[in-house]
Amino acid sequence: MADTIATTGTGTVGTGDPALEVFTAAPAPEPPRPRVLLVGTALAAGAAAAGLCSLVALYAEVRAQSLASEGSWLPDDTVMPLTPGNMGMVSLLMSLVTAAWAVYALRNDDRVHAWLAIAVTLVFGAAFITDTAYLWQQSQLVIGETPQAVLIYVITGLHVAMVVAGMLYLLVMGFRSLGGQLTGRASEGVEAAALFWYVAVAVYAVVWYAIYITK
Amino acid sequence: MTVTEAPRDVLDVAAVDTEPVSPTGLAALVGSGDPRSIGKLYIGTSLLFLLVAGVTGVLVGFEQVDVDKPDNVLSADTLAQVYTLHSISGLFLVVLPLLLGIALAVVPLQLGASTVAFPRAAAASYWVFLVGGGLVLTSYAVNGGPFGGEADGVALFVASLVAVLLALCTASVSVATTVVALRAPGLSLRRAPLFSWSMLVATTIWLLTLPVLAGLLVLAYVDLVYGSGFMGGADGLYNQILWVFWQPAVYAFAIPALGIIADIVPVFAQRRLKRHSAAMFLVGLFGALSFGAWAQAGIDTFAADDADLTPWLHDGPWIVVSWAIVLPVLALLGLWSSTRAAGKVKVASPLLFALASGLLLLVGVAAGAATSIDALDLVGSTWMTAQTYAVLLAALTAGFGGLVFWAPKLYGNLLSEATARLVATLLLIGTLVLAVPYAVAGLLDQQRLLAFDTSGIDEVGTVETLNLVSAIGGVVVVVGALLGILAVLGARVGRGTGPGDDPWNGHTLEWATSSPPPVGNFPSLPEITSEAPLYDARHAALRDTTEASA
Repeated sequence: MADTIATTGTGTVGTGDPALEVFTAAPAPEPPRPRVLLVGTALAAGAAAAGLCSLVALYAEVRAQSLASEGSWLPDDTVMPLTPGNMGMVSLLMSLVTAAWAVYALRNDDRVHAWLAIAVTLVFGAAFITDTAYLWQQSQLVIGETPQAVLIYVITGLHVAMVVAGMLYLLVMGFRSLGGQLTGRASEGVEAAALFWYVAVAVYAVVWYAIYITK
Repeated sequence: MTVTEAPRDVLDVAAVDTEPVSPTGLAALVGSGDPRSIGKLYIGTSLLFLLVAGVTGVLVGFEQVDVDKPDNVLSADTLAQVYTLHSISGLFLVVLPLLLGIALAVVPLQLGASTVAFPRAAAASYWVFLVGGGLVLTSYAVNGGPFGGEADGVALFVASLVAVLLALCTASVSVATTVVALRAPGLSLRRAPLFSWSMLVATTIWLLTLPVLAGLLVLAYVDLVYGSGFMGGADGLYNQILWVFWQPAVYAFAIPALGIIADIVPVFAQRRLKRHSAAMFLVGLFGALSFGAWAQAGIDTFAADDADLTPWLHDGPWIVVSWAIVLPVLALLGLWSSTRAAGKVKVASPLLFALASGLLLLVGVAAGAATSIDALDLVGSTWMTAQTYAVLLAALTAGFGGLVFWAPKLYGNLLSEATARLVATLLLIGTLVLAVPYAVAGLLDQQRLLAFDTSGIDEVGTVETLNLVSAIGGVVVVVGALLGILAVLGARVGRGTGPGDDPWNGHTLEWATSSPPPVGNFPSLPEITSEAPLYDARHAALRDTTEASA
């Protein structure tokens, strides 16, 4: 059997070993499976969630130390109203529905409603950010003055950054769907953005309970 | 209707007829999304940083020879900075990027993929890593880093280390996604080569570990910059990083070593690996047990004076993990031994690297198990330093083994066999000479370097002798690493006929393409039906030939 070297437009491929002819004479491979963005997003979102949840765990540990040694956690002059935190939670919970709506609409080739759903999700995201900013302003915590302030600003700030990243992701995928790149058969991009958004909301549920509810 | 677009067939012909203009020089380097180029950039840069980690390690080693005067050459503060530079650069600028670089280049080949997932993100991760790594070194140069005296330098260190961690996480996402989503048709996850599988396990654990460290560093940065100081400032910074060097987290950085060994041993035993699925399970088990983000140090702002800030030490889960992790390593060594025994061993440098790495990892996990024995009182002693060295140098040795094994695919050349054998020997002997005396000194109550506590040492003379031997071991490791770097450089610039496409008679898909592979790696692939497709194809052809001649 003669040595088989398969020649391509980009170079030669083959080992020269007749036994391995099967690897150079086979038909073209199937196109890549359309899960890449979804898998990558799941990994990235999981990593972000791990980082944030570990900070919440650290917050809980330091808070427990403070309660054990000083009998209190937040400084006396700190105001931590429940309403902005709760409104943020409600906003994000409602955004779960609209994010799922965007995915559903795109899967059904309904790009108009997909865009509407993405836009409403972005509005909910913006509402959440204003809720959090209002809470920061109300709390009278000065960063750098106390460990409590550092922990709260870092945790909530990083979570806001995650939400902003999720909004940008949805926006980019929305534009791609507008340009026709994402359709009912290739809606993976919006599904991936929605997955990131779901994780961001789940992380907020942890932050909300640990910081705003337990205080 | 006006037609504004050329018909598809016309476009296709135009595309074929027009020779694409490829950028050259710096533009090609900076703009490359080719995973092999990115992988080689990661490898080259990590080897460059290895020089920093090696030289600082030797300095620290000789500084400890006189335990009564830990500031022989360097002041106590400078020594602490040099020590942290050694350990942090050794892990985050050498071991992790080296393994990720090999993975970026090799994993797509092993899986029959044309490229990695998110190649541009992988390329961006490299450039962020390069700038971040450079800034980490710069921060030390301006009296920053842990124990640094310059506040801005300390803040720069924290920010640049966060950048490095984000870059490594991005590259990890790229590698893990490639393994999950870009395998060739028929190549199920259960048939994935063990290096690719080990990288999936490793990157998953890293993605659950490194962001935790990054989160802590962000907290430390805000604390440093805004001045509340509750995390201990520059002097307390290293305590927030230390947990990644201790078990169980440190084992996570050696997961790819298991995959590299598992891919090398069957090739040189000329026998397919026994119980591939069991080996996958064992690598996965090792990875699961090495998840160590739960074992961070605490923060003592509000803690009572006698509070234990490492409550996980000698607690049930920590002891269970310390002992349980020995089992997968032993079982894998057993599988490799039985594969080797069943085959006809062909001794070559990659096998020596694999043996050296396996032995060092066994020493590391055994030392870790002993650490959990409360009565021995080894926590915080140089016993743990020795364990960390054994584990991380096992990973480095495996990394060099991977470079030697896959050099034809990376550089289109083989490394010098004689040099590679010498490097494997020096790394093994050097690491043992470095680690074992440290471990014995730990038994004699020598505390880890940054404790600056020599009060508990009764046999000072013996400990100083042991430290001297350790320092010499460190020199041997550095010499071995330097030779390894030179061997890689030799392969990089080497000319000649090349090694051929499959110089080792490999078992997995990367050996089915040319050396170095063309853009796109494979023009076509058949349905993959086993975990060792090339081994099977060769044996099927041999069987056909035998039957035909009969």
